[in-house]
Amino acid sequence: MTDPVSPLRLSASGMRAQSQRLRHTAENIANTDTPGYRRKLVTFEEAIRFGRPSGEVEASRVRLDRRELPRIYDPSHPMADAEGYYLGSNVDLVIEIADSREAGRSYEANLKMFEQTRQMGASLLELLRR
Amino acid sequence: MFTSLNAANAYNAARNAVAPGEPTAAVQKISTAAEDFAQQMAQVDAASTGAMTGKVETHQLVQTIAEAELAMETVVAIRDKVVEAYQEILRMPI
Repeated sequence: MTDPVSPLRLSASGMRAQSQRLRHTAENIANTDTPGYRRKLVTFEEAIRFGRPSGEVEASRVRLDRRELPRIYDPSHPMADAEGYYLGSNVDLVIEIADSREAGRSYEANLKMFEQTRQMGASLLELLRR
Repeated sequence: MFTSLNAANAYNAARNAVAPGEPTAAVQKISTAAEDFAQQMAQVDAASTGAMTGKVETHQLVQTIAEAELAMETVVAIRDKVVEAYQEILRMPI
């Protein structure tokens, strides 16, 4: 028999992973104008518990976007080199906003699953209570 | 004729008839389940304390509470059934 509690655990892991992703997106957006900042990326992977794949999702370690940093011309900037250029951040706001939306939607999906599981458990017990 | 002595003897006989025996496997299972339940409630306490002190994530707290809620409802439903069965026996005409 399937444990009625395990979907709760799985959806909670999804919510945790998505909120971690949202957190890194927020960091990227906050650092849009930081010179030399590289965009942070998280990927997801299935969590291994006791040596077996558990079905839970986990955010992997943070990776940095290897894309080239843009050179911005601003001679008055304290970090500008001899030619008047400095390296900006490689954050693209459009991508970050889209990413945060996606994280939010996935979070909602997990939340719905959580709610659904609870409702199913409650209605199963309702049979016993009658 | 009923005397108080008769009644006392009858009571004594009846008491022996319903003397508790060794706990059966079913009873032991119930006590294990009760221990599990108590453990789950202790987990909720730990998670709430952890969430207040910032050691446990909110997601973890919500998950633990939802699981405990489900367990609590199960236990209450089973208890209600048991009490109902007991009352049914009490109402039985002898």
